[in-house]
Amino acid sequence: MNTPMHRFKYTKLTKEQIDKKLKDIKDGPVCASEYSDVLAGKSLKIVTDDGPALEYKFDKKKNILTLTENDGDPIKSGYGALTLKQMVFFSHMIPKTQKGYNVFVDLDTNLVTVFEVWLSSGKKEMTMSQKEIVIDDREVQRQIYYGYVEIAGQEAPKERHHSTNRLEGTGMYWKQDTGIETLDLYPSVFSSNFVELTRHVDDLSYCSPSDYIMVDDNMFIYDRTECEFSGIMTLYALDLFTETQAGMRLGLNEKDELEYYMFRGTGKVVGHLTSLAPFDEHGESISLGAAPKAKPGQEPAPPPKGQRYAYRPERDFINMTEEEVHQAAEKSTTTFSSVPEGPQAEAGMMGGNILPFSDLLVGKEFTLRYDHEGPVWEYKVLDLYNLQWREEGETQWQKETYRTFEADENLVFFAHIHSGSRPRTARRIALDLTNGLTTLILSKMGTKYYGNEVSYRAIFGAAEMEGVPSPQYVRHEFTDELVGRGFTRSYSDQMTSMHLYTTPHSSSWTIYMGDQTLGAQWCAPAIYVKLRDGVYIFDLVEEGCNGAETCIIENEKTKRACGFGYSGGARGVGLNTIGAIARDIGGYDIKHFFGPKAKVKGV
Amino acid sequence: MTILKPISEFKSSLMQPNAGRRSFIWKAGAAFSALFATTIMGTSKSRADETGTLNEQVNQLSNQLGIHEDTNAIRSLHQTYESHLDRGMYEKVVNLFADDGEVVFNGGIYTGKEKGIRRLYCDQFRSGFTGRKIEPAPGFQPDPAQHQDIVEVTLDRKSATGQFPYSIQVGTPMASNSSLVEMARLQGEGIKKWWEGGIHEVSYVKEGDSWKIKRLEYRVIVKANYAPGRSYAKPIDVPAFAETYPADPTGPDKLV
Repeated sequence: MNTPMHRFKYTKLTKEQIDKKLKDIKDGPVCASEYSDVLAGKSLKIVTDDGPALEYKFDKKKNILTLTENDGDPIKSGYGALTLKQMVFFSHMIPKTQKGYNVFVDLDTNLVTVFEVWLSSGKKEMTMSQKEIVIDDREVQRQIYYGYVEIAGQEAPKERHHSTNRLEGTGMYWKQDTGIETLDLYPSVFSSNFVELTRHVDDLSYCSPSDYIMVDDNMFIYDRTECEFSGIMTLYALDLFTETQAGMRLGLNEKDELEYYMFRGTGKVVGHLTSLAPFDEHGESISLGAAPKAKPGQEPAPPPKGQRYAYRPERDFINMTEEEVHQAAEKSTTTFSSVPEGPQAEAGMMGGNILPFSDLLVGKEFTLRYDHEGPVWEYKVLDLYNLQWREEGETQWQKETYRTFEADENLVFFAHIHSGSRPRTARRIALDLTNGLTTLILSKMGTKYYGNEVSYRAIFGAAEMEGVPSPQYVRHEFTDELVGRGFTRSYSDQMTSMHLYTTPHSSSWTIYMGDQTLGAQWCAPAIYVKLRDGVYIFDLVEEGCNGAETCIIENEKTKRACGFGYSGGARGVGLNTIGAIARDIGGYDIKHFFGPKAKVKGV
Repeated sequence: MTILKPISEFKSSLMQPNAGRRSFIWKAGAAFSALFATTIMGTSKSRADETGTLNEQVNQLSNQLGIHEDTNAIRSLHQTYESHLDRGMYEKVVNLFADDGEVVFNGGIYTGKEKGIRRLYCDQFRSGFTGRKIEPAPGFQPDPAQHQDIVEVTLDRKSATGQFPYSIQVGTPMASNSSLVEMARLQGEGIKKWWEGGIHEVSYVKEGDSWKIKRLEYRVIVKANYAPGRSYAKPIDVPAFAETYPADPTGPDKLV
């Protein structure tokens, strides 16, 4: 059975185990395409800023190079070289080590970008809760150096390749010479989304720390490292004019097999997201991560070698059992407010921009009948904050506090907790008062993985309500209409993220930085339901992360989102309101990459 | 927290006669006028008197010169303070204080260089990138005529006071553990920021040959929801500290 990346338990390989995996690296990378002989018989002396001096001699006939690093002893290694227009890219490891170099030489300018890569870093990081962790040895590290090829008698060039925001928002489809197809979406300046179209079967997207380097207006260098997954690195130069790439992949896959190969690829730009960064911001300097904490009496140290932003949410997540979560829920189940019947929602971080509560249901009595022997519930709505419900056929009513938003004309979205349920259950109900259609997002605490991760499902049905029709065949449906699109979500003036609907079954969220450049990202499985034209339910659980659910209705006409968050942990279980103001920032034409053809048409 | 009068009112209150203080405090500007006046008056005295008077004058002049040097040193010290804050060099800010110094900020008093003051700058300020100099929010610019520094050094030159306008960004980490905020924190954000303008009211003490900050109070005139580049701002209320350390890990030692 396929296990998606965010659920896969990658082996904690030791340095010694990795040594064994790397035993053949002396031969250099393999490649499905023919290597270039452009370097054969040549010598290169590469000078880098704040990095090593690398002196290369390339064998005339074989793909073997001799490297002298910082005037050290010469080292022989196999290598591979590919060209991409004026760019020569060669890759090699240093035998009997876990370190190597990937060198991009721009023959037009003699400028060079060097990626030093290594495994078994022993690197320590502080988690979000300030817990020190050691990064897995299998995670490929990288340090980027900018420099030039030294040519006798010529002055060193003053220009350098540099980091850039020029790719921020661009999305590419790629097909490598290996046959592997991916969608590589670049919505951030230091992270990226990728969808494995051929390696995986679940049409899920993932996020990885990434670098974006500008060579010229059409040529860039990009890399990603699958931190918190296999730790594998993909690095390539891409030319936007010809939509071609040349790169390499290094690391240990989910089977713990070494992947060290170079590749060529052809692709297509699939679209763009609009950058909201200032027009005079070019991304040449990207500040990664909060300032490290200083020791008393000292200023913070400069960033360590290989520093990058890597979101590692699971490192802080404390898995709880079903029993532990139940006990926490018994102690504290918060619905919207610490005062359940209070008029003011304590909306918190996600609710600074909530819609007003709707009274459309007040005084109404109705039955919600869900398909396939799903639940049948009778409701009496008492006032703006309280309702009663019962299972069909029961005599006793159960009172709950609830909140309703009017997401579109006469389309309400209301939610409440099922008090006393085990596991604690929450209902988010979209009810169309014009046609009687209803969708229930039924969530409960706990998945098969752990007790404090929300599990959820969408159930379609119809309402029985005075003056409202009750269709027997027509239903709301899952949809892929949103796939590829990006929207900002301003939950308050202080917090805006961007939802990118990456596949029919997943979505990413990206946090805007202070200057509205897109920064930190993460991804999770999600579902999409179409309620009306331009009105959708989007429901996502931060799986393998913090287990929290975001369930919103988004209305493309009003650019407003309203809904509810549901989560639980040691502090108890909470159902909260969510409200956001959106901006449509464009999207990618990628729907046709997913699913069986019949489904690709959408609803 | 302390609610201040508008800057014009506050400034005019500084200009009120204060004979008690002026009897032993030299104002830096006045020191130069007195220097010339005394020199001219001395020419009509007898020789014996002249010698005594001259000695007295030399001492006085020497002291006045020293006061002038002290005044410059204190201005320089405050510039250093602001510069370190602007660049986020919070450890260096702490070193500008006397061991028993204290800071009044947002309704709390932080006492002791190595405890309270270090906690204020290295924890509280650092977590919100507080202290970065930004221009005043549109509509809240102070009157330039009132936007001046004042330094007063005591005659014995062992202590001094100063008042300096400030215009800074203040921030506080968002109180939430949502994944959005956690991610924002990792990229150096997740901070609620605002602009704050007011007066630094400072007292100084001389330790050896160098001046240290004895007490520094952030006397706020206005806080506004402003970030550089924005064309408008509106005043905001920011709650003062409600808890002291250690209940609030970055909180003050005492509430005002």
